[in-house]
Amino acid sequence: MVKLTIDSQQIEVPDGTRLFDACAQVRGEALPHFCYHPDLSIAGVCRLCQVEIEGMPKLTIARNTIVRDEMVVFTRNDRVKRAVQQVLELHLINHPVDCPICDQAGECGLQDQYMEYGLYESAVGVADKVNKRKVEVIGPQVILDQERCVLCTRCVRFCNEVTKTGELGIFYRGDRAEIGTPPGVELANNYSLNTVDICPVGALTSRDFRFQKRVWMLHGTASVCPGCATGCNVRIDHEGDRIYRLKPRFNPEVNGRWMCDRGRLEYKAVHDEKRLSEPLIRRSGGLEAITWQQMWRELTGLLKPGGVSLALTNPHQSLEELVLFRRLALQLAGESQVFGSIAGTEIGEADDLLLAADRTPNRRALSWLELPEIESADLVARSADAHRQRILIYGGDPAADDTVAAALRNCAQLVYFGTHRNATAELATLVVPLSMWAEKDGLFVNGQGRIQRFARAVARPRHAREDWRLLADLLAHLTGEQKLVSLTEVRRFAAAELALAGSLDLSTLPATGLVPDATEQAPAGGER
Amino acid sequence: MPLLWASLAKIVFMVLMILLLLVVLIWAERKGSAFIQDRTGPNRAQIGGVRLAGLIHPIADVFKLLFKEDVRPTNRHEALYTLAPFIVMVVALSTYAVIPFGDYIEIGATRIPLVVADLNVGILYVLAIASLGTYGVVMAGWASNNKYSFLGGVRAGAQMVSYEIAMGLAIMGLVMIFSTLRVTEMVAGQGELLWGFLPKWGVVVQPLGFLLFITAVFAETHRNPFDLPEGESEIVAGFHLEYSSMKFALFFMAEYAHLVVSGALIAALFFGGYQIPWLPRPLLQQHAGLILPLVMGVTVLVSARFAVLFFRRARRERGKFGDARDREPILMGLNCAFAALLVLLAFGLQPWRIGPSGASLFATLIQIGAFLTKVVFFAWLFIWVRWTLPRFRYDQLMALGWKVMIPLGLANLVVTALVLALIA
Amino acid sequence: MSFKGLPEGVGDRTQSFRDAGYFWEILRGLGITMKHLVRNLRHTDEMPTMQYPEEKRVYSERFRGRHRLTQREDGSVRCVACQMCSTVCPADCIEIEAAEHPDPSIEKYPESFTIDLLRCVYCGLCEEACPCDAIRMDTGIYEIAADSREKFVVDKDFLLNNDTDGTL
Repeated sequence: MVKLTIDSQQIEVPDGTRLFDACAQVRGEALPHFCYHPDLSIAGVCRLCQVEIEGMPKLTIARNTIVRDEMVVFTRNDRVKRAVQQVLELHLINHPVDCPICDQAGECGLQDQYMEYGLYESAVGVADKVNKRKVEVIGPQVILDQERCVLCTRCVRFCNEVTKTGELGIFYRGDRAEIGTPPGVELANNYSLNTVDICPVGALTSRDFRFQKRVWMLHGTASVCPGCATGCNVRIDHEGDRIYRLKPRFNPEVNGRWMCDRGRLEYKAVHDEKRLSEPLIRRSGGLEAITWQQMWRELTGLLKPGGVSLALTNPHQSLEELVLFRRLALQLAGESQVFGSIAGTEIGEADDLLLAADRTPNRRALSWLELPEIESADLVARSADAHRQRILIYGGDPAADDTVAAALRNCAQLVYFGTHRNATAELATLVVPLSMWAEKDGLFVNGQGRIQRFARAVARPRHAREDWRLLADLLAHLTGEQKLVSLTEVRRFAAAELALAGSLDLSTLPATGLVPDATEQAPAGGER
Repeated sequence: MPLLWASLAKIVFMVLMILLLLVVLIWAERKGSAFIQDRTGPNRAQIGGVRLAGLIHPIADVFKLLFKEDVRPTNRHEALYTLAPFIVMVVALSTYAVIPFGDYIEIGATRIPLVVADLNVGILYVLAIASLGTYGVVMAGWASNNKYSFLGGVRAGAQMVSYEIAMGLAIMGLVMIFSTLRVTEMVAGQGELLWGFLPKWGVVVQPLGFLLFITAVFAETHRNPFDLPEGESEIVAGFHLEYSSMKFALFFMAEYAHLVVSGALIAALFFGGYQIPWLPRPLLQQHAGLILPLVMGVTVLVSARFAVLFFRRARRERGKFGDARDREPILMGLNCAFAALLVLLAFGLQPWRIGPSGASLFATLIQIGAFLTKVVFFAWLFIWVRWTLPRFRYDQLMALGWKVMIPLGLANLVVTALVLALIA
Repeated sequence: MSFKGLPEGVGDRTQSFRDAGYFWEILRGLGITMKHLVRNLRHTDEMPTMQYPEEKRVYSERFRGRHRLTQREDGSVRCVACQMCSTVCPADCIEIEAAEHPDPSIEKYPESFTIDLLRCVYCGLCEEACPCDAIRMDTGIYEIAADSREKFVVDKDFLLNNDTDGTL
């Protein structure tokens, strides 16, 4: 342990601690910085985190300094402040004054530092600034503005150290230095949008989010990415009932501070034109909109105990829904007729960073619930002789596969709960609208077996009810048991079904999610 | 048969008179309130540029209300809802039946009294009919199925019941003095002079009775400061909140019909009705040859003066509006000049040589004129008071009615009885 | 007079007999109103009322009327869709949708710019917030009328040209 004095305050830190971290501990906030990023190597190029150390003639940058015993450090005196101001002025010499059109405005490091350390009287006039290239497309997801860049090299280090693809580099020297890609190379890796996140200024901006919204108008809701079995923690940035972007949310156990570009675009499906907003029924060949009450009558008429020949759900649904669905489906169909997913679907290639091969967020829950996979050939075979019987499909789009579609076309009645007017909906007798992940509260179990919570950010479709409530109502209607009336009750029910330890409360999970103890987890509902 | 025809003619005259006065009163209310509050009031409606200082507005209002949609509450009580405005209007008009608007008119040898129904229980009839008005208001409030309307109806009911007693007590003093219930006899009685110089008007012999009566009448007609059944600031419009179009117009007209009737009642009971003080009918008839030319002369002078004023204004405000309204002062001036000319020409008929039957007619007309003048003055008093006084609080209203007016009315009766006993 | 159970000062006002009758005060009030009536009848010209459509009040140069969007020299919109105005707007009446401008030196421009004139409170904060002098409220137009709510939502073209009177 090392004892030192920072801003006349004694502190004890472990050996080898960076002075930067010790200062942050004392100050309660980090020293001003651009180039430092906790997940990247130390560059020391922005020169903002300067502090005065007694006995040293010059100011030193705290990030590169390792604490010594008896060190006396000042971070707030006039000398330090003056130095930071001057460094910031140098950063700003050629920085354009285009905050009004810059997407970074509002979450910009430069703006934040300037509020505290700005000179407010620039020595360089707007007309004297060196103009560089603007609106430079450097990849499918990222746009570069050379003028705004402060050459902190975070993006370069990210590409070198995290993705190890090395697309970016610093070209030229001195006041002509700029970030760029070598000729013929694009910033096209699946993690390129993380460079936008870590860029402290507006030099790198997202092409998808470009000009869509000013960031201060957005509200953030903590959620989980539904794109793959990794279950990266995300923040849904939305205004009103519209989602504008997904940002990674720090979770050291799952995704750290990163997420993939593919996952960032998952929100698009929520605002798809083909979203179902009201119940539909097949009449004289076409699907017609009906009221929720009419749908309920039809639904309870169609779904009778033992009256369903095959019930299929999919790993995109929340844990709560799957638990309720399983109970419901076992009432409606025989044990061998309830399935969790179609084998071999939604599997891609994994990379060695975050993206998992399983492109669904909750397949682990299916195995916990012992909802088996069905081979699509088996599904086709079963549907083929089911022309007098009913099939219940909860979520997903199995008919996207042509052979399955052909088979489903034979069945007498197809009750489909879905989010989009897709191929399956077009074959259905009765279509019930469901919410998507951003529109409801729920739990996903990721590939590690970690239970993570996602929360409602935007309103569900106009005529849809909460999905768990619909299932709970159906279940109560079928069994005559007491209706589950809150999500807390449903989660308690789910914990019991999963035979998780009795003390496990699914309503209050830790921020990083929860991996149930292997010994306590006796997979799958007892009374099956 | 002639009597029947005469009665019909009197009814038509009476209704027309009330309806015309009502229009004038609505105008006077709007314009008077405006001038009292330093505003100009309505002055936009026009026919060919003539606006008559806003007198065209009532006509415009009639058309507006006639063509407006009749919006009715869904859960109304249909029969009561429809009936209520009619009751209110009919009651307002029928009170008038016993009030004489002149002495008599001579046609040949027959003298036709200028009153629709000379009932021997006249005063009681007035009180009875006035209390019927409560039904209309309470029914409107109930049938609208609206909380505010209902509150308005309840307020109206309680208020009218409370103030009827005071009203009755106030009139009883007069009944004792004139020893009659007939309104015609009361008016005739007020033509006499007290101690040879003081007109024996109700207000002179019953000053306290007059104050109590006029206060009670304010409350009965629910005019400010007793307009709690309508109280805009707390219950929107009270009992007639849910009425629109012509049904609302009926309530609105009934209010002003009430004003006319109340004015007539006050004039008849306390201000000598058609009597002109110190100028009884025989004197009028005798000097008709002098008074008629005098009246005509004054008319000529006034009309000519107005004509001159209008013409001056026309010159002063030439091209002020740039449309038809610029013609108004010239038209009005020409009108006045024409009237002056017409009366001037009438001197050619030698009015100073008027015959006895002519003199009788003239006296009747002068008396009707005197009566109408009094009616209009008291109706104006209602308007004047409305724009002067704030509304009472409900407890104040009840306290005034029960704790002040009824005891005072009783005291008044006792004093009157004692004085009458002493004189006798 | 005092009542039990009422808070102090309530219900214990005493009135003299003169006040209780209201009589003299009523006469005084009637006198005041009649004074106004007579004065206004005699001097109709001195009444403060303005005959509005014919006579109009003269407003200050700085009067905040209906908004307009200023133009660049080439006639295009000056606005860069930074949404400072819609951010600062207390009535939340400005809706802007930004888009990419073909000229990279301009970069961003409003594809749509609508103001809901019914929601606007004419506070002028949008003018103050604008970094480009793109929105101004100096038209002096205040007689704004239309026959449907939709017409009060004015778009970019309308605000750029703004050559109508109050009628939308």
